[in-house]
Amino acid sequence: MVDQLPNLGREEEMLKEMGIESMDSLFADVPEPVRMIGDLPLPDAQSEEELLADARRLLGANVALGDQPSFLGAGLYRNFIPSSVFQLVTRGEFLTSYTPYQPEVSQGMLQAMWEFQSLVSELIGMPITNLSLYDGSTAAAEAITCAVRVHNRKAEQKDTVYISELTPPDRVSVIHNYCQGAGIEIKKLKHDNNGCINLESVHEARGSCAVYVEQPNPLGIIDEGYPSIKEIIGEHTALIVGVQPVSLGLLEAPGHYGADIVIGEGQPLGSPITGGGPLYGIFGCTKPYLRLMPGRIVGRSIDVDGKEAYCLTLSTREQHIRRHRATSNICTNETLIALMGAMHMSLLGPEGLKHLAIRNMAACTHLKRELSSIESINQPHHQQAHFNEFVVELPEQTTSCLAFLEKDGIVGGFNVSDWYPEKSNQMLLTVTDQTSKDDIDRLVQSLTTWTAEVTA
Amino acid sequence: MSRLFDHYGAEGKGYAQPSPILPVSELNLPANMVRNQLPRWPRLSEPEMVRHYTWLSKRNFGIDTGFYPLGSCTMKHNPRVNEVVAQLPGIADIHPHQSEHQLQGLLSIYYEMQEMLAICAGMDAVTLQPVAGAQGEFTAVRCFQEYFRHRGESNRTKVIVPDSAHGTNPASAAMSGFEIIEIPSQEDGRIDLSALRAVVGDDTAAMMITNPNTLGLFEQDIAEASKIVHEVGGLMYYDGANFNAILGRTSPGLMGFDAVHYNLHKTFSQPHGGGGPGSGPIGVKEHLASFLPSPIVARREATAAEKEQAVDAFWYHWHAPENSIGKVQQWHGNAGAVLRCWAYYRRYGKELRTMSEHAVLNANYLRHAIHREAKAAGVDHLFVDGADTVVAKHEFTLSLGPAKEKLGISAMDVAKGLLDMGYMAPTVYFPLVVPECMMIEPTETESKETLDTFAKDFCKVLQLDAETLHNAPTTTPVRRVDEVYAARNLCLRHPFDED
Repeated sequence: MVDQLPNLGREEEMLKEMGIESMDSLFADVPEPVRMIGDLPLPDAQSEEELLADARRLLGANVALGDQPSFLGAGLYRNFIPSSVFQLVTRGEFLTSYTPYQPEVSQGMLQAMWEFQSLVSELIGMPITNLSLYDGSTAAAEAITCAVRVHNRKAEQKDTVYISELTPPDRVSVIHNYCQGAGIEIKKLKHDNNGCINLESVHEARGSCAVYVEQPNPLGIIDEGYPSIKEIIGEHTALIVGVQPVSLGLLEAPGHYGADIVIGEGQPLGSPITGGGPLYGIFGCTKPYLRLMPGRIVGRSIDVDGKEAYCLTLSTREQHIRRHRATSNICTNETLIALMGAMHMSLLGPEGLKHLAIRNMAACTHLKRELSSIESINQPHHQQAHFNEFVVELPEQTTSCLAFLEKDGIVGGFNVSDWYPEKSNQMLLTVTDQTSKDDIDRLVQSLTTWTAEVTA
Repeated sequence: MSRLFDHYGAEGKGYAQPSPILPVSELNLPANMVRNQLPRWPRLSEPEMVRHYTWLSKRNFGIDTGFYPLGSCTMKHNPRVNEVVAQLPGIADIHPHQSEHQLQGLLSIYYEMQEMLAICAGMDAVTLQPVAGAQGEFTAVRCFQEYFRHRGESNRTKVIVPDSAHGTNPASAAMSGFEIIEIPSQEDGRIDLSALRAVVGDDTAAMMITNPNTLGLFEQDIAEASKIVHEVGGLMYYDGANFNAILGRTSPGLMGFDAVHYNLHKTFSQPHGGGGPGSGPIGVKEHLASFLPSPIVARREATAAEKEQAVDAFWYHWHAPENSIGKVQQWHGNAGAVLRCWAYYRRYGKELRTMSEHAVLNANYLRHAIHREAKAAGVDHLFVDGADTVVAKHEFTLSLGPAKEKLGISAMDVAKGLLDMGYMAPTVYFPLVVPECMMIEPTETESKETLDTFAKDFCKVLQLDAETLHNAPTTTPVRRVDEVYAARNLCLRHPFDED
């Protein structure tokens, strides 16, 4: 029996007072030909206890990353979220509130989101940020369409943008879906054999609307070439940089090397991986993009008494006002996950962020060193600095390696051939602050055994 | 006042972390990529951080705080077990790229949700990838586009929306590259079939509509509207924002729709979280199934070797639809939200129909109670029904036009007055077809007593004089916020003195 309905058993009393005969009469306006007859072919209602038992049984069939040494990342990164974040974010006042359209009773979330904007703005080095998009992929897509809106009039290469050829195909697919309606052509920027951007190829992007690159790039490489990009493409082409936010504890903020728009997968700050969602997309930009950018923005204002107060602002960009001329169709976004991000950032503080970044990069450096002891495993970008992850070339197919690791109780890395089919013996190995020395030892040991088997 | 950026503790403050595996000196950071100035973030200890966010939370109104009759938003109770389920390591700590062997639990729940949503809407296939209602709309419209391309009908460039539609409908279709044709509604807010007939043609791609409509009325001509659009070769799109009103009583499939999005954060109780996350799966009829985003979940009988890892004798696997539009989110959608909604659905099962019945019962009862109390209080001349109907569905509208005319009291004034009474205000000024509109949706999780009390309090607000109401609210954390000031004096982040 359902236990969520306060008026169960009181239907007759309420109907009688209204002078309505029956529940059926409440649906008398549904014409007969479209009425659903009979019960929904679904199982009976469950009690909370029964549901929880089923949830534990079914979700127990998944292998949680925390149960095994795991080396899977490729855009999402295991992290540690302080307990207070979960405790606070599930406070009903936050959890069960709607979009803050009535600012007088939504000051808590509005101020929290204004503070989120401030934290992210400092992090990425951009003067303006919104209060989140869905995820990194849609943030990248919306950044590109935004840049085209801003630059297309003056662009020599109209309706054209250039994105790094390393951009993961799943992300390119999102970008394509968002861009095709506006007739935007997506061209690719080349990378050299060392995995870094080919600056000659960046010259081709001059006169286009935007260039999109990621730092660290999808192969985990910290690309030293990026500070030259803005100079090459000039002021009429937007430089859009995608970031892993934790890396910015060590790496220069893109806003400080010429980025016009910075986007990112916010997840590593504040959110568990959760099977790939909900996450939050970071979006920040410089002033020329402000009025054509997507998403909600909170502004600081005053109330009628002159008291500090917060409200949504620049809403005339948005769908509920501008309808088909809106800068984006986004309405529901990822506010609560952004709130988790703000809480995590406020507990870290600047030095805490740096420490966290060092832990990530140290684990990565350590794994690279340890793996160099296995002769048959090659690191094609060995000379480059990496954050979180790097590619290894295996003596055999990646699928066979992953199957071996899985049997050995290790969640292996990402099969690079899922992105680039010709690279069937490459694996992207990811470590984070949550990877221990023991985890790395286990992986190296297992890979040593596997390589010995396949090269024997 | 507690401000995050007022906290500047000593350098190095922050939660204690383990030491790195290697010291920073051993990391070969490229010199030109080293960050020299760290973000100027505040420094808080845990007690300060907890107190700051608790203080903020007390300045925010949620369903847990009080009655939240926000029309069009379906602010129903969010069962807490959903949060417990979503925190289990089997969902919180899994990666979308893990092998199918390691994700049988997630895949089986995805499959169950796809099936359940298809049944509820009378559709043939479902994707859970879109992460919000608007993204669901966008996804479906993209599928339409590829469907027409596939059939050599790229001439279909126009999408029809009624003027009472949610703003996301035209925005989503325009983002896909369609031209928007807006048609006027009838005076009662219902679809105008002659206006529809006048605009359909060889270039019609689709019509997007919600039913019940934004006035809370069931579109009785919906089957005829579907027929008109189908006859010219167009497709029908169902905006599921108001699905809470009809579940188990009718379905978009029965009404002739080809595609539908579900707002899991409305109908299936994913908490709104102050604006998100949501989840906006779409369901489609067979002819559109091959265009859905990739992947969706399919299943087959487990082989003997798979039995040990299999859930209930089936093997669940990702499946790429043949003509897929690709991805609209990089991973598999908001899995955590899908899980919460699965937990919610399990506690209703086939009684989801009872859920909708009670949503409609409560809306009609509240409408009745407001009129009853208004008569008793002598304020019934200050508002009229937004639509002339015997029964409403899950929500209803009132027009405060008479109050505005007679006393200079606007819908916004009444909304702010209600805030002072301890309620979230109903939606105001939407839909636009009702002057001084107030749109009220109580949902099924409010008791009769709450509805009766709200009706009385609503009338108490109408008894206040205009000046009092112009000054309302007075009991809230801040009073009316100056939105013009915010737009003219843009302050979008913490300003540092040194900047």
